[in-house]
Amino acid sequence: MAELATPADKRRLATLLSPAYLWLTLAVFLPLSAMLFFSFVTDLPQDAPDWAFTLENYGKFLENPVYGKLLWKSLKLAATVTLFCILIGYPCALVLARVIKGRAREVLFLLVILPFWSNSLVRIFSWAIVLRGNGILERTLEAILPWDIRLNLMFTTNAVVIGLVHSYLPYVILTSYLALQAIDDDIIDAARSMGAGKLTILRRLLLPLSLPGLLAGAVLVFVPVVGSFMEPRILGGRVGTYFGTVIEDQFVAVYNWPLGAALSFVLLAVVLLIFALTSPILRKAQT
Amino acid sequence: MTPRKKALILPALGRAWLALVLVFLYAPILVMAAMSFNASPFYQLPFEFSTRWYQDMAGNAQILAASLRSVGIAVATTVIATALGTAASVGLFRYDFPGKRFLQVMLFPPIAIPWLIIGTAMLVFFFAIGIGRGTPAVLIGHVALALPYVIVTVTARLSSFDVTLEEAARSLGADGWTVLRRVTIPWIAPGIVAGALFAFAVSFDQFVVSYFLAKPGDSTLPVLIYTAIRKGFTPEINAISTIIIALSMGIMFLAARKARFGGGR
Amino acid sequence: MSSVEISNVTKTFGKARALNDVTITFEDGGFFALLGPSGSGKTTLLRTIAGFSFPDSGTIRIGERNVETIPVEKRDIGMMFQNYALFPNMSVADNVGFGLRVRKVGAAEEKRRIGEALELVQLGQFANRMPHQLSGGQRQRVALARAIVTNPKVLLLDEPLSALDKTLRVDMQIELKRIQREIGITTIFVTHDQEEALTLSDRIGILRDGRLVQVGPPREVYDRPNSAFSAEFLGETNWLPEAVLPGLSLPGGGEGFRFAVRPEALGLSATRPEGVNALEARLEQRVFAGAMATCIVTVQGQPWKLIARDRDLPELPANAPVWVSWAPEDTVAVPA
Ligand SMILES: Nc1ncnc2c1ncn2[C@@H]1O[C@H](COP(=O)(O)OP(=O)(O)OP(=O)(O)O)[C@@H](O)[C@H]1O
Ligand SMILES: [Mg+2]
Repeated sequence: MAELATPADKRRLATLLSPAYLWLTLAVFLPLSAMLFFSFVTDLPQDAPDWAFTLENYGKFLENPVYGKLLWKSLKLAATVTLFCILIGYPCALVLARVIKGRAREVLFLLVILPFWSNSLVRIFSWAIVLRGNGILERTLEAILPWDIRLNLMFTTNAVVIGLVHSYLPYVILTSYLALQAIDDDIIDAARSMGAGKLTILRRLLLPLSLPGLLAGAVLVFVPVVGSFMEPRILGGRVGTYFGTVIEDQFVAVYNWPLGAALSFVLLAVVLLIFALTSPILRKAQT
Repeated sequence: MTPRKKALILPALGRAWLALVLVFLYAPILVMAAMSFNASPFYQLPFEFSTRWYQDMAGNAQILAASLRSVGIAVATTVIATALGTAASVGLFRYDFPGKRFLQVMLFPPIAIPWLIIGTAMLVFFFAIGIGRGTPAVLIGHVALALPYVIVTVTARLSSFDVTLEEAARSLGADGWTVLRRVTIPWIAPGIVAGALFAFAVSFDQFVVSYFLAKPGDSTLPVLIYTAIRKGFTPEINAISTIIIALSMGIMFLAARKARFGGGR
Repeated sequence: MSSVEISNVTKTFGKARALNDVTITFEDGGFFALLGPSGSGKTTLLRTIAGFSFPDSGTIRIGERNVETIPVEKRDIGMMFQNYALFPNMSVADNVGFGLRVRKVGAAEEKRRIGEALELVQLGQFANRMPHQLSGGQRQRVALARAIVTNPKVLLLDEPLSALDKTLRVDMQIELKRIQREIGITTIFVTHDQEEALTLSDRIGILRDGRLVQVGPPREVYDRPNSAFSAEFLGETNWLPEAVLPGLSLPGGGEGFRFAVRPEALGLSATRPEGVNALEARLEQRVFAGAMATCIVTVQGQPWKLIARDRDLPELPANAPVWVSWAPEDTVAVPA
């Protein structure tokens, strides 16, 4: 790595960096600033010449209990999904990192994270096919189990949770796996040589040492789920109204952009708060 | 039972759990793929093989137009994001300068902030400055989302680059650009390819941002699928979805191999 | 404390035979060094004793108990690892107390024994530090305290000091020896460093390709290697060419033996000394290294090495014709 010694170096650096960062500024940072601005106006300046500054958009959020309730509902949904992702995903990561070895591990790991990189909308749609009333899942269970069942999962909160867990599970597995496989084998051997059984090793070594990774995964699940709208719409039907869907409505159905902007910023504030609370641990996860 | 046999029970349980999770992850996708070949439009069993929905799909002008648009946007995103992202990675890696840490941190908002927020912010801003909705807006948005992925991937590859190689080339009389072209770029080529594949996948699979930025009637494939699902399922959507997922998994498989994600040991 | 008896232990990894019919007894309270070239099976033997891996055939007894099917956590051993393997999330005291906690000895007892163990390694005041706040030597001592605090039957060490620099390593060797004597624990350790093996242990075993080629007290193995391999592996050897043998006084045997002289047994002079074995040579090079000096000489066209106190060597120009000499009893006879 070189210091910027000469003007030529500075020019070269600027040539290398500015296109990417200008693009990010134009497409991400300016829009976020613009949205902050719009969340404080009565009307869009380009539509209505008589626009004015106002706090009313945020006022609506505070006055109308529906928004608060929906935000709370979204937070609860995110907590549920995160919990399931941890309960299902952490043992998987444990098995991948500490039980399976060599080539099999590489292949299985790839299999686990592959769906995550494929189209999430399509994956949610595939659950819609599986969960439909009288759909594949019910038929299969009927064939296996002797009694008659009516799951009626489609268009319930459970369906939304299942779809979201399916979407975000690989995050938790990925981050936990990376943390777990970084643990030195000798440490585990040392614990065993002192007489520690599997549970002791899990509780006193593996869990504490991989906690930053697990937490990183949890945040990576929690944050997007709070703002999810497509999954509840497809799998939740009428019960699928959440904070995210309300924001979506402001932009594509109600066309109250200033209110949508304000609600988006409330959501962003929640997200930033979560990052702020967890960042000391997340920073540890990076190193 | 000997203690050694007993020690095998927990790992066996663990493996079984992993297998179950893989079933959970893949079963719905496989069901969808199977149903796209089922003759019944209501996913009725017994299964009767048919390629009818694929034929219908091939004759559906809307789906074809959206597919073409999606691929076009994804290719353009890949080219632009890879070029800009690689340049930025090299700059960030090669030089020390005040504010470098800040620039690195600035890569995280596009990845970490929910796409709903970014998408709606883009919508508002693009309207305010007159770009409005439509394919150019979608492209601008996709490149921005793909850039951090490219930069992170290429930087990861660069970090294993031995800087003395550049110094050696320089000591042999090569100038800066020659060193970049003949030494640095060849080394990071696998990282660039992986980054390009990530960029393609981010764009091709992107729904949320496209949803807010695409003009109705001029939509990308995921947006079209979403609209169709909300109107009611059709097996044609099933067929195109199956193609999409096969394609995107294939691309990511290649990218993961290239990036050696999680490999080793 | 207990003895460890290994009988006919064989271990294969795929096709590679890492241990081949190894039989050896480690006496109660002894300090035992395992030596051998890389890949000779030292680690495998140690890990088989520890219980991390299990022999394909053969028996292992620790004390009165057959342990070959018992996993490590039930064997009651203490082990020290090359890179310390301290638990990074626990303080020094918690690291040392880990094995006691597993054995549920009770809080008061635990505290007392942690204190004792830390005193033993002279780290009493470091109990509340985290591992990353310690120097390499201190970490090594914590690892040692942690390995012995549970009074294990046997202490196993796999190249425990190789991560330390030279001075620290010598300090730790002395420390290790002192503590081993003090608590009298049966100790088996693997090392690459032959000097370390010779100074620390009261018995050494040399492994080659999974076979134990020689076992005995260090002096015996050094003075009477039973094979050219042992002779060359432990210490340096100058082999006597066949042609010069008739003119020399040699220890018994004769037929079926090869003879060698250790570099430090050789003397160098300008004229032929009386009453000792002597050979004509040419001085090639003299390397000064503080108190000692190393000379390379050619004997019958073969390079020999000679180590002596620098002040004992005569001043001679390079390429000078010289005599190398040694006492007849310093000749090492090795079965060919
Ligand atoms: N888990 C394993 N799988 C396959 N082969 C192994 C395994 N462990 C050891 N081996 C092989 O067994 C032989 C002995 O290895 P071991 O680690 O015991 O050697 P070592 O004497 O400790 O060597 P070093 O001095 O390099 O540590 C080697 O050929 C090694 O390649
Ligand atoms: Mg070894």
